[in-house]
Amino acid sequence: MKPLLSVWIDLLKEASERRWILAIAAGITLILLTMACALQLDVVDGALAATRFFGKPIRTDIGAVDQTLRPLFEAVSDLLYYGSLTIGIFVSADFGPSLLEPGRIEQLLALPLRRWELLAGTFLGVLTLVLVGNLYASLGVTAILGVKTGYWTVKPVASALMATVAFISLYGVILATSLFVRSASISGTAGFLLFIAGIVASFEKEVAGLFKPGIGRVFFEIICVPLPKIGSLGVFSQDLGYVSLPDWLQVSRLLLGHVLFGGACLMIGLFHFERKDF
Amino acid sequence: MRYNHHYEDTQMNAIEVQGLRKTYANLFGRKRIRALDGVDIEVPIGIAFGLIGLNGAGKTTFIKTLLDIVQPEAGEIRVFGAHPESPETRRRIGYLPERLHMPPVWTARSFLKSIARLKCIHGPDDAIEMHLDQVGLTTAAHQRIGTFSKGMMRRLGLAVALLGSPDLLVLDEPTDGIDPLGQRDVRRLLEAERNRGATIFINSHLLTETEHFCDRVGILHHGRLIRQGTVSELCKGSNRWLVRFTPHADTEMFTKHGFIKANGANEWWFESSNLESLNRAIDRARASGALLDGLRPDFKELEEILAETVEKNP
Repeated sequence: MKPLLSVWIDLLKEASERRWILAIAAGITLILLTMACALQLDVVDGALAATRFFGKPIRTDIGAVDQTLRPLFEAVSDLLYYGSLTIGIFVSADFGPSLLEPGRIEQLLALPLRRWELLAGTFLGVLTLVLVGNLYASLGVTAILGVKTGYWTVKPVASALMATVAFISLYGVILATSLFVRSASISGTAGFLLFIAGIVASFEKEVAGLFKPGIGRVFFEIICVPLPKIGSLGVFSQDLGYVSLPDWLQVSRLLLGHVLFGGACLMIGLFHFERKDF
Repeated sequence: MRYNHHYEDTQMNAIEVQGLRKTYANLFGRKRIRALDGVDIEVPIGIAFGLIGLNGAGKTTFIKTLLDIVQPEAGEIRVFGAHPESPETRRRIGYLPERLHMPPVWTARSFLKSIARLKCIHGPDDAIEMHLDQVGLTTAAHQRIGTFSKGMMRRLGLAVALLGSPDLLVLDEPTDGIDPLGQRDVRRLLEAERNRGATIFINSHLLTETEHFCDRVGILHHGRLIRQGTVSELCKGSNRWLVRFTPHADTEMFTKHGFIKANGANEWWFESSNLESLNRAIDRARASGALLDGLRPDFKELEEILAETVEKNP
């Protein structure tokens, strides 16, 4: 396990030196600071009395904080979930191809580590990077809203964790693609296509209705079966506080689906990587 | 003849390769290029082995198969008696690839620390500083690799290979891009590594460097190892010796004692399979008043040997 951990540490160290990852971290910080400074929420006796953004009043019905803020938390969850997946795709697309760069991969493969350790370390490193980013953003939002309203909830953090699990499937495809075609743009595109396909597949029944009954619809339904349901998980992440037990079972199934899909892609990539000459 | 003592003392081979074949094919398997065609090589522990050949001869492919970076279609490879896939075997190998790409955002020192971690070297700081000094990068240790010149990259690559004092150094064009004085430093460094007992396998286009440094040389051509042997075995042209005397009027005297006129002024060939007859002939010439000015065996340059070998095997 030690070589795997070393690869994991190295990836995080390398990421911390990359300018545009630092720029994204600075961007998240800037958004959080703007939110902290510009958003004013007046809570009186547990009810949200007024909301101001950059000093301008925003029309809000007076009501219990948790109910009134529900749309805000839903929007924050959506932003965290879809935003982190989108940013994650662009941030992570380059790690695989950079690892496989001629002159670098030969040096790595000559070291006392196995190919699967190199791949797994990279996979876990990128997931950690995304998790840290998601936790930073979600904890920041939670802290800002909690301090301003006195209403503390873990919903943004849970959304961020769900996004990280959903990212397993996306990064599985991105990394596997980069093992076949050493190109950050192609790997990123593959991840982005899966992201879109995963949203479409989540609304399979609604979309299938757009097809005429026949081969086209059946083909669409078959294609949707193995795809990770990114949109469905996004819907659950929106209002985690309001899901019932059966919904939780479905959430677990969705999470497991993402893990299995990502794992399967990684296995295909590893199968190819183990036999590949450099 | 420069034999390392390890070469004669040990039975164990650092590298044993038998019947190694590798064919590269394109995506659809139509265009096939045979890179290695049944290569057999044995490299005893403690010697410096140089692999030479033209571009595309299969030298880099051979090195990569040694390290399991390229997987052969047939053949047996043993490094210190074990398969190179094993991390334990690879822990004993230091490798400098022909093409180098190191993460540009890292500094030289932090990159070496990362490699030390991957090689599971405990407390590597002193060794890192020592290798940085050996390759002349101490002052640049804090610089980002992205700012390095080609020669500096090569030096850092060499430091990576040396880290952990490996038993086998596999170096693909070790002095490529390094300035002449730096090349001299690298040669000294490799000499020190050989004296430490490390086996050195070099793939180089610089034949003079190979000739002067390596104990054994192999010539690879079209994926086949056409010739191999010690430098003296390969370069020895015949049983002739080139003898140079100071200017002497009586040329007939030399002819009488078995010398044959060579092209150079005051230079003579003497053919002899043993040193006694050579010494007797020289003594007779000296007794006739000639003064010996120089003596060397009829050695060919490695470049000449490579050219001859390639011409004979088109």
